[in-house]
Amino acid sequence: MLRHFRLAWLGLVPFLVFITAFELLPLGGLVLSAFSDGGGPSVVNFVRAARPAIVTAFANSTGLSLATALLGTAVGLVIAYLVQTSRSRRWRNVVTALSTVTASFGGAPLAFAFIIALGSTGMITMLLGLVGIDLYPGFRIYSVTGLIVAYLYFQIPLAVLLLLPSVQGLKREWREAATSLGADGRAYWLRVGLPLLRPSIASCFCLLFANAFGAYATAWTLTGSSVELVTVQIAALIRGEVQLDPALADAIAVLSMLVMAAAIWLQRLFARRQGMASR
Amino acid sequence: MTGESSLSGKSGALLRIVTMGLFLAFMVLPVVATALFSVSVRWDRTIFPEGVTLDWWAKVLSERGFQRSVTNSLSFSIATALASLALVAPTAFWVHTRLPRAKPLLEVLTILPFGFPAVVLALGLIRLYSPLPLPVVNTPFMLVSSYVVITLPFMYRAVMNSLEALDTTALSNAARSLGANDWQIFRRVILPNIRGGMLSGSLLVFSAAFSEFALANALVGTRLKTLPIYLVEFTRFDARQASALALISFTAVWLVSMALLSSPARRTSTPGLSAPV
Repeated sequence: MLRHFRLAWLGLVPFLVFITAFELLPLGGLVLSAFSDGGGPSVVNFVRAARPAIVTAFANSTGLSLATALLGTAVGLVIAYLVQTSRSRRWRNVVTALSTVTASFGGAPLAFAFIIALGSTGMITMLLGLVGIDLYPGFRIYSVTGLIVAYLYFQIPLAVLLLLPSVQGLKREWREAATSLGADGRAYWLRVGLPLLRPSIASCFCLLFANAFGAYATAWTLTGSSVELVTVQIAALIRGEVQLDPALADAIAVLSMLVMAAAIWLQRLFARRQGMASR
Repeated sequence: MTGESSLSGKSGALLRIVTMGLFLAFMVLPVVATALFSVSVRWDRTIFPEGVTLDWWAKVLSERGFQRSVTNSLSFSIATALASLALVAPTAFWVHTRLPRAKPLLEVLTILPFGFPAVVLALGLIRLYSPLPLPVVNTPFMLVSSYVVITLPFMYRAVMNSLEALDTTALSNAARSLGANDWQIFRRVILPNIRGGMLSGSLLVFSAAFSEFALANALVGTRLKTLPIYLVEFTRFDARQASALALISFTAVWLVSMALLSSPARRTSTPGLSAPV
């Protein structure tokens, strides 16, 4: 029996070797190096990381992720609700297809599309100017606000895809039960619908947060290094543009992993609860 | 829909249409603007483009650098999808049928890539492997391996979902009673039945690898340019050619997404998050 058990684990060896070589060792190495000062264990690298540029980067990344996760989830919920309550099936298909495609648009092409659309001489900028709305100079696409708009382009469809199944899972009978007890549409959503959706909404929010926090290509193409973000800083440290201080880069990397891993851990927690609620 | 008091009246219907219209406009206009820009003679001084031309497209397509970058991107993405299939499909089958107790471990290992930015993996790989005497860091092998890691959540979920939808015990027992060994069972019985999951997993992996920027830039960017790296370079000095390149990238992602939507296993695939954001 014991021999059989050990043999079964042998089947996992190729996968575990690969994961160790290309995921666990590289990341573990960063953690070890971040927590040592060359001699022994130490948190000195994290103390050194508390400098203005890095604190700003974490504040910007967190703010950008919170804003786009919040707005993305809210708009995604509204769209999912509209799709669910619309009478035509075609809407559902159109929105699902559009969301599937656009949730995967990102990075350099997306950033560039937003420069073309919302740059100072962009198409939408000029169209809005025609009807008397001047975006510039109040708004700039090469700013944190611009990044929020660009990130929403992939955050909203992702939220629609994540929330649509749960919104569609709300049973008709619950609605009828609420109506028979005298609830109008608003009361139903506030007292029954939204509370039932709470785990899905929370897990969607966490996933969107992590998605935005780890993003790099969109921000790099759009704002270069003019907006300090955690991922932009780490990439700059890799290129050795800022300074050659590997241990400091490792500390920043470990902090960014902590933030994202926490978001994903919470997301899993809420997703499990969502699974229980729909049973 | 019964008694939707807030959105049933005339104003409700209007609100519904306006909201949907704004959403669709936001999702469609940036792409349309890019498409129009790529065929415009000049379009930064006037409301409408000053004439239509295919010059920028001709220029982009005839460039050697472009052809090389597309070839690089295609080879890296196909290699990633194949390597991921070869690594994940047998492992998932083994865990599902022989070692269910290892499932929680695999769940954690394969979801882990959602828990760190791609640039952090790039940093970790460089710090770990660049001190080696062999030049392995700046190779396609390292890039494809890192792509397999960051796309693990897609492939593992897609394959495992289709495995879990099968009665693998009954299938295996039936095949074994006919004299098949483990490898034959996997190859001849299980594989054909999880083709849908493998296909949708591969499409997600391909799409993510095709548009990935951070790892490519950090690991091989200076020597082997992929399409996203080539595009970023153009955004800095030639907006018209860059818009044609952006449209090519959008089209590639769109084609893969459409294939994904029409694939039989679309219900089992993880939505989204394949964005190279």
